[in-house]
Amino acid sequence: MLRKIKGFTYLKPFTVSEAISLLDEYNGKAKILAGGTDLLIQMKQRTQNPEYVIDIKNIPELGNITYDENEGLSIGPLATYTALASSPVVREKFGLLADAAFAVGSPQIQNRGTVAGNLCNASPSADTAPALIALNAQLKLVSMKGERIVSVEEFFVGPFKTILKDTEILAEILIPNVPLHSGGSYLWLPKIITAVDETLVGVGALITVDDMKNKICTEARIGLGSVAPTPIRAKKAGESLKGKRIENGLFEQAGVIASTEALPRSRAEYRSEMIKVFVKRALNRALERIR
Amino acid sequence: MQKIINVIVNGEFYEVSVKSNMTLLDFLRDKLGLTGTKGGCETGACGACTVLLEGKPVNSCLVFAVEAHGKDILTVEGLAENGQLHPLQEAFVSEGAVQCGYCTPGMLLSAKALLDGNPNPTETEVKEAIAGNLCRCTGYVKIVKAILVAAEKMRRRN
Repeated sequence: MLRKIKGFTYLKPFTVSEAISLLDEYNGKAKILAGGTDLLIQMKQRTQNPEYVIDIKNIPELGNITYDENEGLSIGPLATYTALASSPVVREKFGLLADAAFAVGSPQIQNRGTVAGNLCNASPSADTAPALIALNAQLKLVSMKGERIVSVEEFFVGPFKTILKDTEILAEILIPNVPLHSGGSYLWLPKIITAVDETLVGVGALITVDDMKNKICTEARIGLGSVAPTPIRAKKAGESLKGKRIENGLFEQAGVIASTEALPRSRAEYRSEMIKVFVKRALNRALERIR
Repeated sequence: MQKIINVIVNGEFYEVSVKSNMTLLDFLRDKLGLTGTKGGCETGACGACTVLLEGKPVNSCLVFAVEAHGKDILTVEGLAENGQLHPLQEAFVSEGAVQCGYCTPGMLLSAKALLDGNPNPTETEVKEAIAGNLCRCTGYVKIVKAILVAAEKMRRRN
């Protein structure tokens, strides 16, 4: 049920150090506000009732999406789904992430919501998570005590639960460069029976081959969304491809392995079948995109 | 907690004191009396509350009024100019794209944002642009047609 949002003190820091110092001061009583597309709903549902709301949108550098040939891609916590889906460098070099950003919500949500917020909300069906898992993304968490870097699959601990402490901010998403001869894709199966846009099965896949003639897989990473309490990496499915020549039946087998790594709860049988289908399709799409 | 915010709504400057927990939707309707913007699901799913914030469609039910400080907002009331309906509004009337009318303000603003950036959209692009606006009467066919008709009219005029 939705109710009027409880009163709070609105804070507007201008630097990251100011933001983390506020988080530290109001330990547990404050929430970070970026796009607000999840937070406002939770405040209306009264599942979040922060006494302090720290709006980080006045910290301009947090919106940056920057690419460096050696370091890879850096995404600031204010980068919206629209910014990501329309960024030329993201589309060209990390296309599956642009696809995943486009899968979230509606244009209105994409204009406002952020990828970092998608991760911090930690919905099991967060669309950007499987893509970021496939891309081996690392997250920089910053607090007054310092910073730590964790992989995106370590970040989630349960439905809507992460390792982020009340005093920490997700300050940067770091994505390493993908190797030569790699291709990626994000495919998702939407729930079409409800007005609320939610993914029933999401698959992010990144595949690397030695060269385009031989087509021997040297690396493969598969991320799954909406089929376990958190977004997960289908590690065995990815490993099963390594060192093998890509031929008929290989991707199908990877899909079967991936379905054994998932732990779907509701509509488990259907989701398990769909994992097989979507892993195979996602790998095929990734293969087509190898350059 | 009260905060004073400065906003430009439909070209007019406002300086208003608002509570921090007030949404932009409630601000527009209850503080400024601009009731063209509708409240629907209150969770960002239906798009009835769509306004343009800095030219981009957003769900005003998921934005705090205090976040709009220093920003430019366009609501359905700002579409007509000098008593003349916007070409999108004219097309919605001529094509019969309005049934109960509840989704219309949001549809118009999503459509305006599309045409501002893409004056010659395909039917698919129109559908994608209004994907976040639900029509409870399910009258989508005429809405899509009206947007395409308006686009063509605007291209010919320019």
